[in-house]
Amino acid sequence: MASAATASVLAPPSVLDQTHNLPQEDQDALKAAVFQRLHPRVYLERFVREEIRPDGRAFGESREAAVNVGSISTADGSALVRLGGTTVVCGVKAEIAEPALDAAGVGFLVPNVDLPAMCSPRFRPGPPSEEAQVLSERLNQALVASGFVDLDALCIHPGKAAWVLYVDATCINYDGNAFDAALLAMVAALRNTTLPQATYNEETHRTTCARAAPRVPLRLSPSTPVAASFGIFDGKYVLADPTAFEEPLLEGSVCAVLGAGGAVVSLSQTGSVLVASADGAERDVLAECVAAAQRRRVDLVRAAFGEE
Amino acid sequence: MAQYVFDRRRNNGPEDSFPPVFDSDLRSVASKSEPKPRKDRSPLDIRPIFLQPGLITQATGSTYIETERTKIACAIYGPRQSKNTSFHEKGRLNVEVKFAPYSCQRRRSPMHDAEDRSIAMAIHQALVSSVRLETFPKATIDIFITIIETDGIEGCVAAGSIAASTALTHAGIEIVGLVISCSAAIINSEVWLDPTDEESSSSNGTLVLSCMPALQKVTSVWQKGRMERKFQCMKACQNRSDDIHAVVGQALLEAAR
Repeated sequence: MASAATASVLAPPSVLDQTHNLPQEDQDALKAAVFQRLHPRVYLERFVREEIRPDGRAFGESREAAVNVGSISTADGSALVRLGGTTVVCGVKAEIAEPALDAAGVGFLVPNVDLPAMCSPRFRPGPPSEEAQVLSERLNQALVASGFVDLDALCIHPGKAAWVLYVDATCINYDGNAFDAALLAMVAALRNTTLPQATYNEETHRTTCARAAPRVPLRLSPSTPVAASFGIFDGKYVLADPTAFEEPLLEGSVCAVLGAGGAVVSLSQTGSVLVASADGAERDVLAECVAAAQRRRVDLVRAAFGEE
Repeated sequence: MAQYVFDRRRNNGPEDSFPPVFDSDLRSVASKSEPKPRKDRSPLDIRPIFLQPGLITQATGSTYIETERTKIACAIYGPRQSKNTSFHEKGRLNVEVKFAPYSCQRRRSPMHDAEDRSIAMAIHQALVSSVRLETFPKATIDIFITIIETDGIEGCVAAGSIAASTALTHAGIEIVGLVISCSAAIINSEVWLDPTDEESSSSNGTLVLSCMPALQKVTSVWQKGRMERKFQCMKACQNRSDDIHAVVGQALLEAAR
């Protein structure tokens, strides 16, 4: 009796010991998770040395994309896009406004992205973070530069009434590469958007829509803009479609937005994209990334929209 | 009309914009119409619930809930360190509700307004007595709720509370019991459970009852308007909550497998 009591005093059950009760498999998973948390860089290095990424993808492999359109009935057009774990919902709301004085026959396109505190522990509640602001601006530029939406067709009566398309994307789960997912969601939502037929009455100065008349889809350019992002890790590896774990470890990144036939709509490069080959010679991978983005675009457009 | 606030942190549209006006709506006189009788469910039936825990992989716990048109995503972060607050012996529960701009018939400005605060208050009230806050002093549990589509504010509060309680369980946070909410409206002096937006706007009064069916305890009652049969309403809500409790339990069990 006494010896048992002393033994328990000498060896108090500590919190750490509790993990020994777990099966071996769970213990290893826990060790790996702790290692990933404490030494993310070394963790990723060990993976890429084996020519594989932590989620089992090859370097040039993108995550699978799933697009689901038209599920939100309060929006005039909507889409839900899942790019691996990253989930973005986009809704289009159409309203009517007076066109700008210097562009009497042109409607408006107002894209915005929200990265709410819900989607990642990195984000705080409140006004849009710097990251969300940059993302919104880049998406705006990509949509405007590609001329995807025919803004002239949004005019109801020159100088008096035009449609405003509020394109709002909300990130539900942030697992990296939100730009590609948000652009895909916005494009899919715009393709899904229909507008009621509106007429401007010059006598009453009112714009009314016909409920009975069929709704009309937007006039869109056949060249759908699609983005593909790449990250440079350790000056040696080009990782396509980086995850939230990989993103902070990258020293450079390339994002290419391409239209039909590989026409470059927007190209952005941050940091160095010089990559050392096995023999030590450095090469610029920008052109390789654009070529890979073109292949990715063909796959995505076929999978998501079933064309081209 | 969307109230215009220039926000340099967002892409701004024109100063004024209006939702489209339909010709047929102008002719018919806006009146408090009689609600149409329900087609596919009886007054005491609720809309079918789809519940999926664990969709938001970045969060400690999460749930997506869908009851016909109402769609809500909920994520739990924490317990994590309370920032900018003095010492608390008990943990804190922080509920934030956000409407997506496209979630309602009219576009909502992306800023916070009074409505999402009041929904957050109602959900906080429904949940706070179920969570064992004494087990994590100095810490906060953040409950973030994004409303993707709404069909009635009462339904939002009810679905939001169910989603948040399920997500808390999914996050492995100690609670004394699952909180289940159910809404009801008095229409033609009859009790209609789980009213849609159209139904609740044509009723005299609505009520949302939150309870823990496992303990037979009510955590909150939120009533709006004039209600002559409120106890009958509460009883009906409580009975229906037992059914929802089974649905939530099943969803959690499947997610754990």
